[in-house]
Amino acid sequence: MDLLPFLLTQSLNALSQAALLFFLGVGLTLIFGIMRIVNFAHGTFYMLGAFVGYSAVRFTGSFWVGLVLGPLVAGGIGVAFETGLLRRLYKRDESAFLMVTFGLTLVLGEVIRLVWGVEALQVPTPETFAGIVFLFDEPFPVYRLFLAAAGVVVAIAIWQFLERTRLGLLIRATSQNAEMVHALGVDVKLVRSAIFGIGCGLAALGGVLAAPLVTASLGMAANAIIDAFVIVIIGGMGSFLGSLLAAVLVAFVQVFGAYYFPDFALAAMYLLMLLVLVIRPGGLLGKEA
Amino acid sequence: MPLFALATAALVAAPLMLPMFAMTLLTEALILGLLAMSLDLMVGYTRLISFGHAAAYGLGAYTCGNLLLHTTLPLPFAVLAASLLTGVVAIGVAWVCTMAKGVSFSMLTLAFAQLLYAVAFKWTSVTGASDGLAGIPRRAGPFGITVFEGKTGFYYLVLACLLGSFLFCRALVNAPFGAVLRGIRENEAKTLSLGYNTRLYKIAVVALSFALGGLAGALYAPFAGFANTELLFWLFSGQVLIMVIVGGQGTLLGPILGAAFFMLLEHVLSAYTESWALVFGLIFIGFVMFVPQGIWGLVTRTRRARA
Amino acid sequence: MPHCAGLSRRRLVQSAVAASALGLPVPFRTATASDPIKIGMPVGLTGPIGGVGAQMRRACEFWAKQVNDKGGLLGRPVELVIEDTAGNPATTVRKVQEMVERDGIRVITAIVASNEALATVPKLVEWDTIFVSGDNGDGRLTGESLSPNFFRPNVSGPMGTRAVALWLRDSPLKTFYGLGMDYAWGHNSMEVFEAEAKRAGKTFLGAVFSPTGTKDFSTYITRIRQSGAQGVYLVLSGDDNAAFLSQARQYRLGDKVQLLTELVDQMTINATGDASIGMIGSSRYPFTYDIPANKAFVAAWQETYGRPPDLFEGDQYQSCVVMQAGIEKAGSLEAAKLRAALEGLEVDSIKGRVTMRACDHQGAQQGFIVKVVKHEGMAHPMPEVIATYPADRVTPPCNKMVYDD
Repeated sequence: MDLLPFLLTQSLNALSQAALLFFLGVGLTLIFGIMRIVNFAHGTFYMLGAFVGYSAVRFTGSFWVGLVLGPLVAGGIGVAFETGLLRRLYKRDESAFLMVTFGLTLVLGEVIRLVWGVEALQVPTPETFAGIVFLFDEPFPVYRLFLAAAGVVVAIAIWQFLERTRLGLLIRATSQNAEMVHALGVDVKLVRSAIFGIGCGLAALGGVLAAPLVTASLGMAANAIIDAFVIVIIGGMGSFLGSLLAAVLVAFVQVFGAYYFPDFALAAMYLLMLLVLVIRPGGLLGKEA
Repeated sequence: MPLFALATAALVAAPLMLPMFAMTLLTEALILGLLAMSLDLMVGYTRLISFGHAAAYGLGAYTCGNLLLHTTLPLPFAVLAASLLTGVVAIGVAWVCTMAKGVSFSMLTLAFAQLLYAVAFKWTSVTGASDGLAGIPRRAGPFGITVFEGKTGFYYLVLACLLGSFLFCRALVNAPFGAVLRGIRENEAKTLSLGYNTRLYKIAVVALSFALGGLAGALYAPFAGFANTELLFWLFSGQVLIMVIVGGQGTLLGPILGAAFFMLLEHVLSAYTESWALVFGLIFIGFVMFVPQGIWGLVTRTRRARA
Repeated sequence: MPHCAGLSRRRLVQSAVAASALGLPVPFRTATASDPIKIGMPVGLTGPIGGVGAQMRRACEFWAKQVNDKGGLLGRPVELVIEDTAGNPATTVRKVQEMVERDGIRVITAIVASNEALATVPKLVEWDTIFVSGDNGDGRLTGESLSPNFFRPNVSGPMGTRAVALWLRDSPLKTFYGLGMDYAWGHNSMEVFEAEAKRAGKTFLGAVFSPTGTKDFSTYITRIRQSGAQGVYLVLSGDDNAAFLSQARQYRLGDKVQLLTELVDQMTINATGDASIGMIGSSRYPFTYDIPANKAFVAAWQETYGRPPDLFEGDQYQSCVVMQAGIEKAGSLEAAKLRAALEGLEVDSIKGRVTMRACDHQGAQQGFIVKVVKHEGMAHPMPEVIATYPADRVTPPCNKMVYDD
């Protein structure tokens, strides 16, 4: 393959991967940034999305139903968890959050295993995007193009949400000064529930979209949580734009790194994380923590 | 503290009262207890939340394992050497990590630990890569002492290390050094303004914490006879952190109880049901909601209630 | 007469929990004729390897019920002591230690992951316990890491690779590339493949290894395509295997390059659907193998579980049968006697004849090459046997992982 076609194809691969990483990271950065919660269960919500997607396809034949249902179910559970448990812990220190989300990971993970079983489940690529296009005579999956596009669409949607809607405004304000928002008469509790639910929902969205590529399996959660952490840290906690940037950066490093230095594939992401943290401890676009 | 004396006496007498399989479990619980206690120095006393403490364990285990497999160093010396090496390496890691504060610090510890995992996974000649080191022997002690090769002798070695480490830590936190740590925990800016080089103190506590964590790992290697990359994985780091929290952070003894509790609970639950993770998770959530002071809080509350 | 078929641990544990909480040993009477024969199973039932663990457990339970329905083993009921290790080697060692020290168990099987097996094997002699492997394929377990108490009736990684290589000798494909998981098994099998491909006069263009947990295989697919190879040898398992196959299908890789693999299992086929059609590889146990012993087994299995047995189920079942034959011949569970009985033992089982070699405790047996095809009326594609190779060609020389011819 000549250099230009190679670069183009690999860049497209990286962009599709970046989209998945972005969905994982943006949810966590919202939760992390505003609530200072280390959400251990984030990977499990991602996994939940994939399994709900599987069931949606199995019972309704439509991937699109899964795309809506996955985030809704995850968001619902997230909101319930926040109002039921997390809400009582805001006056405590971080270790309480660590332990309670750790417990949630265990419980939710086991529930998923009980409901869907131990075997990996296939989520077929949706018909519309199951084909291929030819880039310089080499087949390239349409689904990956769809993923990259979905990443862009969702990024714009979140951006507009944060900038233009009332809830978005409240979220941004709460991340800067929760007390002031409270003093202005806004029910900060509702804002927090919304953030947690949206964060979990976004993770699940990533899971549904990833499922046709990797199958819905129980090992997804552990992988996903570490990816999510890395994105949030590199991008900067609480920074939406940061998570977008970090997702693209990490994806490109992974794709091109795995090609040119396969021996370092495992270490690449952590080296990058270390490098960024040493140069800018708050992450690329974050405030100093 | 009469309770402490009673507990120590019970532990010393344990081999006479407990059957062999219980002794094996107890030995491992004490090793994990040492690991959790070492993390408490960072988490409980200095509020340095580390997501990478598995690195200390793994470093200690691999170093000791290699020393026992490839040199003629007697067991106690190999254990101590591994612990020292881990502490020294930690100075470098701490120097980098303490450039950041708060959550960034925590994430740097995670990054380092995962890097170590990645390196260990690939470095076949030193770590055996994904297989790890197997068949680690318990070599005879100095001057022909063979007592540590047997189960009971090894148990006493572990107990001695745990007791010694605890006394050392307790002396440390009661000394002016400990007061500075608590100052950093409560208000670092103020402590800094009082003239203390808080960064140096943080590096010191991380190094000590790692040295003791490495001691635990160094004891694990000859105990189990193997060392592998699972010991370095971030999931294990998270579990050690949970042990500290559930035991009661900032109490030294609490985390030891937390570690024993965690290990034994998982062990018993998983023999009883496949859905042990569900029960396990619910118990931890329960602890957060209803027992915020951790196990140690329960213990001291009962004592106070009786008094 | 024994009437409790394949008791699982649950009921016993309640009293054991109470006893162990007090630090008291579970009362241990001297064994009598009606005392159950306990087989320890530290099997990973939760976590990413849960699917394989579930298969191994099912196979053992099936076997134990069969044995107990016929009057038991040595006239005593078989009791399976099953505990979840979640694939963690530290937990495995802890649990086996307890099985040995507290429950007096002397025979274990059904360890899922190779790193769990590698952590356990060095202690077998100290525990005076025999370990009969159900699916552990690491070449070194009968090579440099051999323990006198370890026995492997199942197919090893090198044997699987060898079968594929033998099939390639007659195939028109000439050039090959490799993709393996970046840990011991991946590298080991790839080494064997490279040597065998060269011996067969084929061209080995190179290999690349992906870290465990890789989710995006696009780079690796690119490499395979760029190499220009006609066939690619895959040494992948679990989630990585399923992800690769799904993505390879999306890139239409199989249209240009023949997919060859060391492991063909139904679980992966079910998870990847059409993506695995046309794949050729080694099968440690193909349920379509047409001999009376296997037909009977498959029929009985189908009746119990409603579907044919999969790869790990068949392999573990054969291991249980070998273990049973050994125990019957030895008349005892004592390690020294059982070891002597197993060495050189020949058993005719569902895969044909298995001979447990005395020199390295590997079960010499034939190798199967299968091709995944679509079957009318079946929900998923299935592996069909397209070649069989005799035991002496597939099993490596004693204590070795490489072949001489």
